[in-house]
Amino acid sequence: MQSVLKVKGMLAVTLLPALLLYSFFVIIPIFWSAYYGFFEWSGVGDASFIGWANYLEVIKDPIFWRALKNNMIIVGASVFGQVPIALGLALMLRKSSLFQRFVRSAIFLPMVISTVVVGLIWGYIYHPQFGIINSLLTAVGLESWTRPWLADPSINMYAVAIPIIWNYIGPYLIIFIAALQNIPSELDDAAKIDGADGFKKLIHVTLPMMWKTIMVAVVLCISGSLKAFDQVFVMTGGGPAQSTELLATYMYNNTFMVYRYGYGSAVSTMIIIVSLILIVISQLLMKRRDQEGRGI
Amino acid sequence: MRKWFVSIGLLLLLMLAACSGDESGSSDSDDTEGEHGVSISIWHNFAGNDLRARTVRGMIDQFQKDHPEIKVEAQAIPVDGYRQRISTVAAADELPDVFLTYTGSFTDEFYEGDLIQPITPLLEKHPEWRDSFLPGALDAFEYSDGEIYSAPVAMSATSFLYYNKQLFKENNLEVPKTWDEFMQVIDVFNEKGITPIAIGNKAPWVAQSTTFGAIADRVTGTEWFIDAVAQDGASFTDPIFIEALGYFKQLVDANAYQDGANAIDNTQAEQYFAQGNAAMMINGSWTISSLAASASEETLQNIGVSVVPAIPDGKGRANTITGGPGGGFLLSSKTEGDAKEAALELIYVLSNAEAQKAIAESNSMVMYDVEIDPEKVNPLFYEAFKLVREVEYVPVYDLHLSAAAGEAINTGLQEIMLGGDVEAVAKKLQQAQARAVDE
Repeated sequence: MQSVLKVKGMLAVTLLPALLLYSFFVIIPIFWSAYYGFFEWSGVGDASFIGWANYLEVIKDPIFWRALKNNMIIVGASVFGQVPIALGLALMLRKSSLFQRFVRSAIFLPMVISTVVVGLIWGYIYHPQFGIINSLLTAVGLESWTRPWLADPSINMYAVAIPIIWNYIGPYLIIFIAALQNIPSELDDAAKIDGADGFKKLIHVTLPMMWKTIMVAVVLCISGSLKAFDQVFVMTGGGPAQSTELLATYMYNNTFMVYRYGYGSAVSTMIIIVSLILIVISQLLMKRRDQEGRGI
Repeated sequence: MRKWFVSIGLLLLLMLAACSGDESGSSDSDDTEGEHGVSISIWHNFAGNDLRARTVRGMIDQFQKDHPEIKVEAQAIPVDGYRQRISTVAAADELPDVFLTYTGSFTDEFYEGDLIQPITPLLEKHPEWRDSFLPGALDAFEYSDGEIYSAPVAMSATSFLYYNKQLFKENNLEVPKTWDEFMQVIDVFNEKGITPIAIGNKAPWVAQSTTFGAIADRVTGTEWFIDAVAQDGASFTDPIFIEALGYFKQLVDANAYQDGANAIDNTQAEQYFAQGNAAMMINGSWTISSLAASASEETLQNIGVSVVPAIPDGKGRANTITGGPGGGFLLSSKTEGDAKEAALELIYVLSNAEAQKAIAESNSMVMYDVEIDPEKVNPLFYEAFKLVREVEYVPVYDLHLSAAAGEAINTGLQEIMLGGDVEAVAKKLQQAQARAVDE
């Protein structure tokens, strides 16, 4: 008993510095920011208390809801783009031949490029006059398909989602390959004896064994895409006419372009609330899956 | 065990104490102790590699050399992030001793927040310097207390009409002087498959600052705009302003701009124009510096410069350019004593007659009576330099509107370029400005 207490005390003491730093730089600022949301403040001069007005304005602002919708497009593109593509690639690239290692590195490469560079590169790829996409389309005679990819509000949200998918496939690929390699080879042999091959084996053996990893990847995907900012900021800046505004660019523009620090703080508090709701939902879905899994 | 807790606790306390000690030390930036007698900080946006930026940085270096007793901490911040950086340190009350400002609402906020102090004594000390500024140059920095807070080191002219001489000649066209001629020229170029006007409106201030401000002033006249900014008997929902937006919409509807103009940035548009893909471009004086840095001499000689065409039915004057005094250096209200003397001297060195001449000869406009050597500057600049002495100045929209209203009109013009409704744009602009004036 004595020793258990001692260990616990030691744990508490060793965790304390990290906990202090974390609360100081993460937890407390969240509450400060929520508090600043009650003020009208241009950054210079005095702040005036205006109660819930900022929060009400956020909820009433159609641009906030558009930003939320755009963020959901990014979340959707990431969850249904990055995860399946990474999974498919992982299944194809699980062995370690020279060619496969080369392809793996090539897919991981965008991950180590600065996101600003990614945004600039794709800005040029999508360039309405000189961009490679429009040039290729013209070259093969599909001139009617060319369009200003980033300037046309009916498609630009999807256009900006593609670089984000491309950018982040790498880490999920690595996670999935690791998970694949962790599946014991006895299971493979057993499946073979039972006559499960190819697709059947994938559905009944491989995927169930990787399910937890996939779920972790999905949660990472959701939280990552809610923070999406840099590529979109570089490619479109949230424009034109706020058509690619994300929650983060909306917050940034209001705080640092329009100098409404209080309103920006209210927006960031709303972002935290939205993120928490989404994470809780995904956790609940995961738990249900988990229990179903156990039931079988 | 208890000893453990106590010692770790003490350690943490020490760490925290050390941190906070550090903070109070660094916020006291005009720390006059040290190997130099006095130390001053200066922030500016001359971070690029263009001639003017290098000239100004050279002047700061020279100042440091001439005054070894003063330690100058200079920080060059890229133009795009400059306003944000300064606003952020202003919010944290950690402004540098000397910093570059822009005229209009940006400087107004520092004045209203008591964050700056006047440089009037400096101007009184050098009367011949004060009197050589062009008319109106110092007014931009004179506030209701009768004091002058800065001396402009730049002139911003935001709406030159640049045109490709060769393309006009090949198509037997004259540079348009009136709106009707302008629309005809646009139609002709469109028929020939040449982009009539290049614009890069990804950062959405471009259409507003370069094109719309000039058009709107020709339609509404300057007085109406000043009244509307003050919300004094004029409103952005007035029919006259809807009409001004309508003129901009005419350009959009006539396909004057290239496809996807809202997705490419200003520099890309400048290149597009310089390569001869577009016949015209309405852009500011900064375009001259960036073209001078990237285009060949031949290309520059092929570019002509004029003003936005007149709108005969409008209430405003023709032959005007949006612009006026540009940036100048401000002195933080916290700088006192020896540091203040040093800071004033630095401001003088960066904006006196010699500095103004050096800046003008690095191909950029100044608000100072100075003769320049045509051999030293590029031909396009010299043409523009002559032009600005024959025109009158009218206000730039976003320098007078509140930040939120500026954002509203910027976004609104993008909406119009995407087929949006002009009245909705006017309404949003009016709401934003009315709200800012109320506060």
